[in-house]
Amino acid sequence: MSESENNTRELAFRRLLRAQFGVEGEPEAPLPDDGPLVAREHHKALAKALQAAGWRLYVTCAATHFPAVPGKKPTDATTPECFEVATVLRSVGPGTHVARWRVKLAADETIDSLVRVFVGADWQEREQFDLVGVIFAGHPDLRRLMMPEDWVGHPLRRDYAIDTPHAPWR
Amino acid sequence: MAVNESDRSFDHPLYETLERFPGLDLATTAVDKVLTWGANNSQWIFPMATSCCGIEFMAAAASLVDLDRMGSITRGSPRQSDLMVVAGTITVKMAPRVKRLWDQMPEPKWCIAMGSCAISGDFYRDIYSVIPGIDVAIPVDVYIPGCPPNPEQLMAGMLRLQEKVNLKRAGLWSPPETRPETGKTIEPAIKRLLQAGRDERITAAQLDQAMSLMLPAVDLPPRPEPEPEPTAEADAGTTEAPAAPATPDGGHHE
Repeated sequence: MSESENNTRELAFRRLLRAQFGVEGEPEAPLPDDGPLVAREHHKALAKALQAAGWRLYVTCAATHFPAVPGKKPTDATTPECFEVATVLRSVGPGTHVARWRVKLAADETIDSLVRVFVGADWQEREQFDLVGVIFAGHPDLRRLMMPEDWVGHPLRRDYAIDTPHAPWR
Repeated sequence: MAVNESDRSFDHPLYETLERFPGLDLATTAVDKVLTWGANNSQWIFPMATSCCGIEFMAAAASLVDLDRMGSITRGSPRQSDLMVVAGTITVKMAPRVKRLWDQMPEPKWCIAMGSCAISGDFYRDIYSVIPGIDVAIPVDVYIPGCPPNPEQLMAGMLRLQEKVNLKRAGLWSPPETRPETGKTIEPAIKRLLQAGRDERITAAQLDQAMSLMLPAVDLPPRPEPEPEPTAEADAGTTEAPAAPATPDGGHHE
């Protein structure tokens, strides 16, 4: 019973992504394992559409930093620095379904904040801003959450030195 | 109201007067003993329990190993406490708060660093967000090693603190506390990069893993070329040839 409910939700999620948000593929073909890649402009609209369709629980968001990678040969181009923000929503009730997607950002791009859609996104986005340094545009209170207020830098970036000193404590 | 007494002399003329009365110095000594006994048996604790050592602290305060036996009860306010037990990892964000709470405690006050995180940061020591031991922020009187120390060890530390309070109040010298040394280091199970005896397949696998994480390519130092085998002419002709075996490991030591 709950499995069929879950399957219905999964198919609805796939159709929604393919119909309105520019994800390639057949309408009901399975999504990639690490989540579909959605364009930056569609991020907030997708969250709103999913909320209207029953995914009413904001679970988490996780940002990842990918530093610039030089090509393997000297002639290869350098892969530029970028970020990825993954967002996870859940539907509420029996046969709960997890909807997740990724958004890729260049180093100087921002992503729309979801605080106006889901209130629970507030501290989650503050944490990702604090640790990874992704700017959530439209966030009402984008301050540091985990690190001290006077901290410089974002420690979960891949190019951050793990033993960075912080006077006078270490 | 704060009064700065740092430049005042404490040789009050009242003391000279008191010493002239027969028997009064004896009375002050007796009062001092009573005060020491009272201070030793009413160490009210302010628990700075930031992580798992706090659970062992709770066990020590519970009925099996009863801290209340020696008059030590936990207080929620630093203004009513004599002893701060730092039980857990102190992060860079927490350290100013700990210092502030310590400054709010009235004198005389004591501090116990409980567990290896509070002593030295332990395995979080090199992380950007953890301070390497609470004694960079506040003075520590007794160190209790362990990860976490069990309640009996905390009790032993409290007894040691009592000895120290006795000595301090009697005006005697007590040895300064130092961080405990274990005297042994744990060898890593897998040899580190560029260490002798390391399996090259592990190096290759780790390099592959690093590449798949999109980390920058690692530039290893070039492999030293094997030295040509000494010929009979070189042995006979040059005088520097016997000096070569004196550095068997390729002259890495300077």
